[in-house]
Amino acid sequence: MQNQTIHSNGYRVLRALAAWLVVAIFAFPIWYWFTIAFRVEREIFELPPLIFDFTFSGKSFEEVFGISLGGTSSSRPLAGGGNFYMLPRLWDSIIIAVFSTALAVTIATFAAYALSRMRFDGQHHFVFWVLSTRMMPPVAVAIPMFFIYKQFGLLDTYSGVIIVHALMNLPLAVLLLKSFFDDIPVEIDEAALIDGASRWLIFRRIVAPMAIGGVAATAVLCFIFSWTEFLFVLTLTQTGLKTVPVVSSTFVTSTGTAWGKMAALGVGAMVPAFIFILLVQKNLVRGLTLGSLKQ
Amino acid sequence: MTRGNDDASLRTQAIRAPRAMLSDHALPWLLPLIAMLVVFAVFPFFYNIWLSMHEFVPKRRALEWVGGANWVKLFADGRLWGALGTTLLYTAICLVIQLVLGLGIALLLDSDDPGFGFLRGVLTLTLVIPPAITGMMFLLLEDAQFGVFTYALKSIGLLGGQSILGNPATALAGVMLADIWQWTPFMVLIFLAGLRAMPTEPFESAVIDGASAWQIFRRLTLPMLSKVIAIAVLIRGIDLFRTFDYVYVMTSGGPGTSTYTLSLYAWQQTFSFINWGYGATISLFSLFVILIVANVFVYLTKLRW
Repeated sequence: MQNQTIHSNGYRVLRALAAWLVVAIFAFPIWYWFTIAFRVEREIFELPPLIFDFTFSGKSFEEVFGISLGGTSSSRPLAGGGNFYMLPRLWDSIIIAVFSTALAVTIATFAAYALSRMRFDGQHHFVFWVLSTRMMPPVAVAIPMFFIYKQFGLLDTYSGVIIVHALMNLPLAVLLLKSFFDDIPVEIDEAALIDGASRWLIFRRIVAPMAIGGVAATAVLCFIFSWTEFLFVLTLTQTGLKTVPVVSSTFVTSTGTAWGKMAALGVGAMVPAFIFILLVQKNLVRGLTLGSLKQ
Repeated sequence: MTRGNDDASLRTQAIRAPRAMLSDHALPWLLPLIAMLVVFAVFPFFYNIWLSMHEFVPKRRALEWVGGANWVKLFADGRLWGALGTTLLYTAICLVIQLVLGLGIALLLDSDDPGFGFLRGVLTLTLVIPPAITGMMFLLLEDAQFGVFTYALKSIGLLGGQSILGNPATALAGVMLADIWQWTPFMVLIFLAGLRAMPTEPFESAVIDGASAWQIFRRLTLPMLSKVIAIAVLIRGIDLFRTFDYVYVMTSGGPGTSTYTLSLYAWQQTFSFINWGYGATISLFSLFVILIVANVFVYLTKLRW
């Protein structure tokens, strides 16, 4: 509904200023965190706090990711040596997020297509039931899962965490995908049905390809929620694997918190997820009405 | 087969598909979803019911049948009611602020002027940070000695000698700040989606009729956005009610019991006190509360799927 009126230049400038100001306020903690990751350690505890003029140091980043940032620091990267070397944890996070997303989106796409195209008795209650699986306190899901996983040897494995993360994302993925399918005119299905196409063919050849942008947007949200999930990984893993959110507690040591290194991990972990969200932002902004507009 | 041709030829022949052909069975499509949810949601639900009637006895290292004792204990447990109050307060305040801020920022950013796409992108940055790390980030910002927020508040004379998270009166607000910061942009995204999905004609005619900006917002935007607002409140409300990461990382429930939420209390009973049965009872209680509230909400807002 933008551009509904031709606004005066003064209005547009004021609005742009307000928008930049608001976003700057939201960006501030990230900026500060970013500078913590890239400043010399002693300057973290300077008073008044240094916000813009800090002394650059790549040391924290190098130690956490084992990557050399060039000549600014004299220390050699500790490839896999240090306590704070977190690159493998980044891999754990990526593997879990990618596969749980694939699982959740596949299952949710089938279900959402049916919910968008085939009305059935009690559909409303069915969707509410799907949503209600998200209402349990996470610890109430984690404990039973812990015991089945123990039984089936899924504890401390990628598969175990992948399944739980997929489950956790299903309700939102179903709602989101339903709203994308609702955007595609149902006449297309009707036409193809008359031509003798099966539901499966319509789904696979016509509707799913048309909704691909929405599927991508849903996938990115699932990826992010898996990427950032804390409690399930905390409960269902021991030593075999750990994701980024869970290892962040490693930096809280008895001699104080290693803020620089924790910030470096946080900044590094932001990058992949942020790239994904930027790629699908247009689609997200179309489908995030979560199926509330059509019935 | 090409879609465009099919559409065109069918329109001209004016053949409509019979109703029966469209209402084929949804079950096969839903089966994978149902299977997943049965194994990983229905089973935990019944497991918790079973667990809530048992309690772990450390002496024998085994679960023993206690019947309804956990439920009796629950209704007499002052800390539980305190945690419920904290959770409701946390949910309500965060929800209202995120809703109002989210709507305002969405209206502000809903423009195709240069730069606005970039601003929307920057705003989504908050979503990709794990809440556990966000908690640590705000822990540093609100640090009693070196925190930027503490420093700012002190320099304008608002904080006196106390720290934000160390004071029972302000600790919950300190945690809420992290939640609001992280999730307001999520609301913005939902509302932007709602705004973009609106038809432009009613707005154009309203402008021609000389309606003020406030009238347009009050009489057009808000009603047309009502369903989107309802679902955003529902989804966010559910997640706020289960909030765990921020309190776990930032305060662990303290100081005292001022920031205990139901999720954290259930966690603590389960893992710190090894009261598995009682932990499950708290979880079920929490589930029932949110189920009732959500049902009433869906009924009142007439959300239909």
